[in-house]
Amino acid sequence: MSETITAAPGIETAAAGVRQMSMQQALNRALDEILAENPKSVIFGEDCGRLGGVFRITDGLQAKHGEARVFDTPLAESGILGMSVGLAMAGFHPIPEVQFDGFAYPAINQIVCQIARMNYRSRGTLPMPITLRVPSFGGIRAPEHHGESLEALFAHVPGLKVVSPSTPHDAYHLLKYAASRPDPVIFMEPKSRYWQKGPVDVTNPLPGTAAHDGDADNSGSLTGARVAREGRHLTLVAWGAMVSRCLQVAELAAEDGIDVEVLDLRWLKPIDAEALATSVGKTRRAVVVHEAPLTSGLGAEVAQLITQSCFATLKAPVERVTGFDVPYPSGDLEDEYIPNIDRILFGIQRVLEYRRG
Amino acid sequence: MMTGRHTMEQHRHTVEGTDPGLFVEVHEPATDAGLRPVLLIHGFSSSTKLNWVDSGWITTLQDAGRRVITVDLPGHGRSHSPEDLDSYTPSRIRADLLQIATDAGARPLRDGDPSTGLDVIGYSLGSRLAWEFGATQPDLVHRIVLGGPSSADPLAAFDLAAAQRHLADGTPIEDASTAGLLKMAQMLPSNNLFAMLSLIEAIKGEPFDPAEAAPHTPLLLVAGEKDERAATMPELASIAGKRGGMVETLVIPGRTHTNVITSRAFKEAAVQFLGV
Amino acid sequence: MAEISFPLPDLGEGLIEATVLDWLVEPGQQVERNQAIVELETTKSALELPSPQAGKVVRIHGAPGDTINVGEPLIVFEVPDDTAGIVGTVPKDEAPKRRVRLSAVLDED
Repeated sequence: MSETITAAPGIETAAAGVRQMSMQQALNRALDEILAENPKSVIFGEDCGRLGGVFRITDGLQAKHGEARVFDTPLAESGILGMSVGLAMAGFHPIPEVQFDGFAYPAINQIVCQIARMNYRSRGTLPMPITLRVPSFGGIRAPEHHGESLEALFAHVPGLKVVSPSTPHDAYHLLKYAASRPDPVIFMEPKSRYWQKGPVDVTNPLPGTAAHDGDADNSGSLTGARVAREGRHLTLVAWGAMVSRCLQVAELAAEDGIDVEVLDLRWLKPIDAEALATSVGKTRRAVVVHEAPLTSGLGAEVAQLITQSCFATLKAPVERVTGFDVPYPSGDLEDEYIPNIDRILFGIQRVLEYRRG
Repeated sequence: MMTGRHTMEQHRHTVEGTDPGLFVEVHEPATDAGLRPVLLIHGFSSSTKLNWVDSGWITTLQDAGRRVITVDLPGHGRSHSPEDLDSYTPSRIRADLLQIATDAGARPLRDGDPSTGLDVIGYSLGSRLAWEFGATQPDLVHRIVLGGPSSADPLAAFDLAAAQRHLADGTPIEDASTAGLLKMAQMLPSNNLFAMLSLIEAIKGEPFDPAEAAPHTPLLLVAGEKDERAATMPELASIAGKRGGMVETLVIPGRTHTNVITSRAFKEAAVQFLGV
Repeated sequence: MAEISFPLPDLGEGLIEATVLDWLVEPGQQVERNQAIVELETTKSALELPSPQAGKVVRIHGAPGDTINVGEPLIVFEVPDDTAGIVGTVPKDEAPKRRVRLSAVLDED
């Protein structure tokens, strides 16, 4: 299962395994298959069992796989993650859920001091094959602690991998891939994208890689970034829910004669530096878009990686369009906080206008 | 209930020097019907939350456009448990209720002004207090609804010595009513048992005598069909009737002393009776 | 459409069960969040239970006089598949709106 990334190119017709699914359904299916394929996997969290999760991602899994494999926990994130450490030490493959991004804070000690370091501390004798699912980012008009973006926090911790899918197809394959890894992975689900449907090819994680020669859509491997839209003049770098917004912006920019490439980073730790170099090496202009606050956000890391590889050919400094340096606001201010289409277009304009000297 | 409610503890006014620290809330309706406020008085070993909030009374009255004043009795709910016995005497509690109603905006009745005066709903022990409050405040009280009312006083008949012996060394309590009331007082971990016993001791000093002072205002008496404590309700109706007041009674089929409180028929009758 | 089942919640004070006094809603009825759905009696008090969410009632468990343990099914709702769950609302997919226009002279060097 862990070697699905090298799956043979799709010689069958593309439509064979393709189904329209929401990200919610794709994640549910992936978890169902993980439980069936890996007897060591266990799923738990607040409301994950009987209710099937507040976003219904674990819907029906307890009934199908039993209360020993899918179960509810008390409202104590430190306990959820602490238990994950013990289960991993005992040979299990825990897939805990922290119900909302902001609820991860009480478990930072377990995540940073135990999960991220146990393999290192034990010289490889106690690996932590834990996939922590975190419904993340904003966009659903929810109260405090329900719309935050913690990717920079997690990415800063040695020993953690961080990934965020933007489509149902990627959600399905990246979750299955993450759960097959021997190391801890923070799986950030863009909760505002749970309900949108898209094609999911369950038989082939990389549709288009060979059979559709030259079609860059869905290119890349499961461990790297994905070119979501090809363009010549500028690269928008995004992840999670911002990818679909950047695709909208790219269509609008095309009306003005600007051909924008959208790079869906997918992995936020480690970041696919090669994909950044390839894309921006071609377009020579880049804007990073994220919901998290600006200062010390992942946009800075991305900008540095681009500068490192493309400094000589860049037409302008890398721009960042991000949330503001304030606590995540209440739902009615969300549209002002999350980068909107106009703010991203302004960011593009700033790069286009830049002149040396 | 998330909006339009402000809470306060009574510190500004005290009666006779000591502050019993009663917890008062005023629940504003979304649309005010322009009628006088309604004061709710809960039962022994209960609280505003148990007796009126969880049972749905506050929302029912708010939906009817009524402004509602609630108070936790001393030693109950979020009120303090004063050390002195006087704070628990029915006469002192009535004085505190008068101060609370006045502070919350209740004004003496004026003919032709439906916003003046005060309606009172009492339950069980709260019915006893409401009866006396109505009898002693005829210029303020407009109408009264009594739930699970009784002309007898089970708290005055409480065997305090037996209860204290039982608490000290487990000696069984012979009197069934005393044993039942003590069990009720012990059942809620939030109850302060010292305060419960102080209240009983204070009531024994001022037992309920409905004939001594009876309200002249219109009365609605409501009890469950299976409410043994309220078996004497007709007696109360007769006492009040003799004073010339209008008295209505309502028996709710199938309900007991404990569970009549959530009855829709009870609430609807009360809203209608007070809505004039 | 999906079904969401709600068990008898923990009523506090160490209570483990409650007796149904009267249902205030019936199958087929549309209820609002926080609308009173059932009158219950415990060993300590009687109370009205507010609905944990909006939806159409599919099933109710327990007739008047029946005892239900905390955690056992109480009521089942039918909700649209895209209901956001406990918190928040499902974002609407809208056609992108813009005010900003791009202007650039691209030197293709």
